Amino acid sequence: MLMKPFLDMQFGERIITLMAALVLVLQIAVVAQRWIVTHIRIFAIQSFLLAMIAATIAWFNHAPHIYIAAGMTLVVKVILVPIFLERLVVRMEIREEIKPIINVPLSVMISGGLTLLGYVVAESFFKPDEPGLGHNELAVAISLFLIGFFTMINRRKALTQVLALLSLENGLFLAAISLTYGMPLIVELGILFDVLVAAMVLGILVYRIRETFESMDVSLLRRLRG
Amino acid sequence: MLLLALLLIPVATAAASYFARRRAEMERANLVGFGIVALVAVALAAQVLARGTVSLANGFFYADALSALVILLTALVAVVCATYSIGYLRDDEQSGELGDDATGKEQLAQLRMYYTLTPLFVFSMMFVAVANNLGVMWAAIEATTLVSVFLVTFYGKVTSLEAAWKYAIIGGVGLSMALFGTLVAYYAGHKLAGSDALAGLNWSVLAQHAAQLDPTSMRLAFVLILMGYGTKAGLAPMHTWKPDAYSEAPVPSAAILSTALLNCALYGLIRFYILTSRCLGAEYPSHLLLLFGLLSMGISVPFILVQKNLRRLLAYSTIEHGGIMVAALGLGGPLGTLGLMLHMTFHTIAKTLIFLCAGNVQQHFKTDLFSEIKGSVIRVMPLTGVIFFMAMLAVIGMPPFSIFQSEFIIVRAAVDGGHLLTGVLIVLFGTGVFAGALMHVSGMILGAKGDTPVAPRRPWCDGSLLALAAALVIIGFWVPAPLLELIRGAAKVVSGQ
Repeated sequence: MLMKPFLDMQFGERIITLMAALVLVLQIAVVAQRWIVTHIRIFAIQSFLLAMIAATIAWFNHAPHIYIAAGMTLVVKVILVPIFLERLVVRMEIREEIKPIINVPLSVMISGGLTLLGYVVAESFFKPDEPGLGHNELAVAISLFLIGFFTMINRRKALTQVLALLSLENGLFLAAISLTYGMPLIVELGILFDVLVAAMVLGILVYRIRETFESMDVSLLRRLRG
Repeated sequence: MLLLALLLIPVATAAASYFARRRAEMERANLVGFGIVALVAVALAAQVLARGTVSLANGFFYADALSALVILLTALVAVVCATYSIGYLRDDEQSGELGDDATGKEQLAQLRMYYTLTPLFVFSMMFVAVANNLGVMWAAIEATTLVSVFLVTFYGKVTSLEAAWKYAIIGGVGLSMALFGTLVAYYAGHKLAGSDALAGLNWSVLAQHAAQLDPTSMRLAFVLILMGYGTKAGLAPMHTWKPDAYSEAPVPSAAILSTALLNCALYGLIRFYILTSRCLGAEYPSHLLLLFGLLSMGISVPFILVQKNLRRLLAYSTIEHGGIMVAALGLGGPLGTLGLMLHMTFHTIAKTLIFLCAGNVQQHFKTDLFSEIKGSVIRVMPLTGVIFFMAMLAVIGMPPFSIFQSEFIIVRAAVDGGHLLTGVLIVLFGTGVFAGALMHVSGMILGAKGDTPVAPRRPWCDGSLLALAAALVIIGFWVPAPLLELIRGAAKVVSGQ
């Protein structure tokens, strides 16, 4: 009897919606906080939730190949990339807070607006008569994507931009899961490999920028014009 | 087998260079590796001409005339640049550009990085062209950025870090949009009968069933892909990384970025264009492509007219040519696509040549600025000067050089297809670029006599220049029949007729 809810699809969908909502809350928390280490940890938790969503879908749909994608996400985006980035932060001895261009309360409001926009866009994909996840997940995915863009514009520090880029990718992962239960496995692996390499390449680049300019402020990068 | 060889040989070359202990070994590995790749590319082209399509591993790798053309051009650029970079990097090493470590270790590490990353760069571009699965193709295009970032930072200057940062971040954002587009396209096709998990994104399968794809999703997918791969191709207004990256990377890498990589990005766009036009009709993608194409051409004109830096001028010229090719794709039809493929071929040859000439000039005069290049190039370095001038005329579309022919075909496609305004604008922007580029470059090449000493001969650099210049002159008058057939085949893949 104890197993019964774990076989019921409805129950599964509710868990997934809950986790997707948490992912969204975390994304807005990113906008609200000011420390780079917190940002990295939030990214790790977010990725962990995404891996759990993927695993839940694999469980309720009996699709073993999604487990592999979930496991790889866990290894790459929850363990390897955050560890690499945190080490980078330690090595670069970043202690200062990040000052966003737009102040925090307004940023949070803008993120709320972007979430609304995400729901509007997701509406057009929602077909009630078809199997597939509800449009909640897709709306969250699109909101992640949009808020990721916003973070990128709003915080002109090199490492935050890298993290924003990674959260764009998280949004896409969620979109893929909610639209089609994930991309084909080979594509998923290709994407994760690229994410890992991209985090390293960009991390090294950030390190060298910090060494050269003694700052991570990308608005200092303006020598090349015309 | 040929498809696999195209991927494995560059990887083997990279490994050989990485473990090599002396400069000569790295040079040899690159030269031999890319030489074999070029031969394989020719063999593949022959096979595609004979059989139509080649596929391997259950359709995971797939090549038709379009892929074969892109592969052939990539291989050509790679082998020419490998030859050129031997001379170029030796010169850099002597002049202390690679560091001034007396033991030579620092320089060797730099060389190792260059000779390892370049084959990997070529590997990722080959992967783009042979991947059937659109998701895998996306991963390969992303890989081209990741591999080439450290080629842009090669000289480790403040400005090269800035260029690399722009290149990586703008490219990364663009490609995340392209991934979104790929995902939406997958959604558009995932309910097709008989599409299992993997075949669901195989282009050859999707192209056959394009008419049954979900039209609303394909509409969104195409816009996202156009923004995404358009960023990678450097279409305006997402072009800002281009002049920076081209002016900071070592010249042979800049040449590859500006020709082979442009082709690869356009290749990704073309694959999606085919799906979209078969699903929604040609009109919808065509309007968008014409808009971005003409915008890119238009934006490059003022920047070329007031340009002070030689390599940035070439970058804006590449943006203009990218715009022409996208506009040609937008015009579509048998004539527009033929113009596109011819233009891609001719532009690849002419632009590689002109970049290599610019490299010779830059290394001798130690600057990229027109105002600093004192003394006429043609007196100081006669061979480079003559070839440079010729390549310049070719790039800006002077007859009898071949780019004139392809541009003429594209304008004719515009007029025939009723896009009179597009035709007029292409001619107008072309004239602007013509005037600007000719003014700057002819002033530099033919200007007053200065006191710069005459340049020594550089067999590796000059040899590759001569060979490519010969190719440019020959295709101006006569395109070999098999190559023309391949170009026609590629055009047919796009237009479907």
